[in-house]
Amino acid sequence: MEGVTPALNQEAVKLLAANEPDWLRERRLHAWSVYERTPLPTTRLEEWRYTDLSRTLELDSLGLPPREAPRSLAVDRYPERLRNAMEKDWDASGHLVEMDGSVVHTDLLDDLRRQGVVLTSLQEAVETHEEFLREHLATEVLPPETGKFQALNAALWTDGILLIVPKGVQVELPARISRWTSEAGRAFFSRTLIVAEEGSRVSYVDECLSDDFDRQSFVSTGVEILARDGAQVQYVSLQRMGRGAFHLSQQRTLALRDATLDTLNVSLGASVARVDLNAQLLGAGANSDMLGLYFAGDDQHFDHNTRQDHIAPNTRSDLLYKGALEGRSRTVFRGIIKVYEGAQRTDAYQTNRNLILSDHARADSLPNLEIAADDVRCSHGATVGQLDEEVLFYLMSRGLDRRQAERLVVRGFLGEVLAKFPLGGVVAKVSEIIEQRLGAD
Amino acid sequence: MSDIPVLSIKNLHAKVADIEILRGLNLELKKGEIHAIMGPNGSGKSTLAKLLAGHPAYEATSGEVVYKGKDLLEMEADERAREGVLLAFQYPVEIPGVSIANFLRTAVQARLAEDEEVDLFDFQDDLVDRMELLEMDPSFAERPVNDGFSGGEKKRGEILQLAMLNPSLALLDETDSGLDIDALQIVSKAINVMREKDPDLAVLIITHYQRVLNYVQPDFVHVMVKGAIVESGGPEVATRLEEQGYEEFRVPAGA
Repeated sequence: MEGVTPALNQEAVKLLAANEPDWLRERRLHAWSVYERTPLPTTRLEEWRYTDLSRTLELDSLGLPPREAPRSLAVDRYPERLRNAMEKDWDASGHLVEMDGSVVHTDLLDDLRRQGVVLTSLQEAVETHEEFLREHLATEVLPPETGKFQALNAALWTDGILLIVPKGVQVELPARISRWTSEAGRAFFSRTLIVAEEGSRVSYVDECLSDDFDRQSFVSTGVEILARDGAQVQYVSLQRMGRGAFHLSQQRTLALRDATLDTLNVSLGASVARVDLNAQLLGAGANSDMLGLYFAGDDQHFDHNTRQDHIAPNTRSDLLYKGALEGRSRTVFRGIIKVYEGAQRTDAYQTNRNLILSDHARADSLPNLEIAADDVRCSHGATVGQLDEEVLFYLMSRGLDRRQAERLVVRGFLGEVLAKFPLGGVVAKVSEIIEQRLGAD
Repeated sequence: MSDIPVLSIKNLHAKVADIEILRGLNLELKKGEIHAIMGPNGSGKSTLAKLLAGHPAYEATSGEVVYKGKDLLEMEADERAREGVLLAFQYPVEIPGVSIANFLRTAVQARLAEDEEVDLFDFQDDLVDRMELLEMDPSFAERPVNDGFSGGEKKRGEILQLAMLNPSLALLDETDSGLDIDALQIVSKAINVMREKDPDLAVLIITHYQRVLNYVQPDFVHVMVKGAIVESGGPEVATRLEEQGYEEFRVPAGA
């Protein structure tokens, strides 16, 4: 029973579920049993080859967040970093703020509320949308059987976000989610469930922030997204946690017939960040653009593990992950395209590019293809390179000093990802953070 | 001061990757002069261009290069550019994700004092103006530098950069190659306009072919063979080359 600790155990699950409906308690306990019987991933597993949990995750030392978390908090009591981040989130269809594992604020445009859009905390949804959760939460999108930590999240989530966009409703502005973690030495479990009904459209930006920690804090996020026939969903995860954080984001997206389900994962913060993203193209005509951007420095360790599952015919996915590395940082990209038998006329692309800016940084890139259909167009490519001296000379020959030239190249390198995802506010915010990082030393 | 040459090269020897390419080259450009260096492939023309621009792989082993009274070889590439030495590359480099406008703005900014900011309106006006001169579509400025450009677009882009950065000494390294006649005329016109705006601009045209010289009239033409200038004269040298080929010049004078 690996991973059972004084804080993370069946008693904790029961305590959490004490006042919850029976089905939910059973669901948590089922997830816990999956967790218990699933061994901790080791580096012998291909998917965890370069991220050694026995050295990076201090599971035994983590406590759970306090049980009596505040259910609301005035904006003027938010930490300054969180306030600063939120101030730039103009243009929103709604906001939701989660602090230390509890949602403390939600708002949504009246017009959308009238059209039946739901943006609420999971805790509240247990009361207001019980049947919906019973049908969708940790069931077909991200069941505990997906893996050890998916199971742990399904057992121990304290709160999270539910977004439902009814059939045909077009949500023009992004929903902005801000999540803040302040406590060191704790494990936080949050879940996100997004369901876009037929022909609806929505974009969702999740920004995850924290202080720096002197002891590890573990933030686990389980993300379930379902885009029904013809729906269009854009999901952004913007990870800007402080040092000392271990951030684990496990995402699964299901795109049904003619649905578009695009994702952007930006990893900038935390000491260790792991993203598992599985895009499933389940209906004919489904499409997923999967973008990723990371900028690692110091001794940060980022691991992006992606999977493009083409299950239906006439589906398309296009993945581009680009990262820059400074200091002694380490990044891993592992991606697989899997085309199932019968998924004819699949277009699937996968590109990972890494730019190494220091002699001590290291990037590993492991693209992979598994194709069981014969009428497909697939390609994958990976590069790990340093700044090209010919490029730097070209820029310097126009009068830029070496540092300016390097910055411009990195900005352009990473900017290519943002240019493909022109979502209001996100591009500006990420560009500004990159600028700050480039200007820092 | 007025008679100090813009560029004075004396007995220059240079090597790249331990191979000596320039073997005792002499050249002098005064303000407002247009010089052309012609030579066969492998004569060292492009080495001279890159060396003058400060490419780190090209090393001067002896001789001197003085630019406006200063030792050019002591300066880093970026310093040379800010001092007014600009090279239009034979093979311009692709920079994905960086737009021409952004790149040029950064380059203009690099020429200002630390507390000064580029005036964006002036910059934009200049850019539109220069692009019209080169008959470029306004959207060109938003494209990533040289990324996916045709050969002709790259060369025009080089001239656009020079026109925006007001050099004192423009080095054109085979800018004419890969251009059709129409494009060649446009580029030549841009060079001529740059000279009208700044009569002091000195231009060194490095080329394999005589035809560019029909559009940009050189004051002097030099023939370069095996790393040295073997013949210098007026435009008639180019005409003679065109008629007789490089064979006549194979053996360096005095060898």
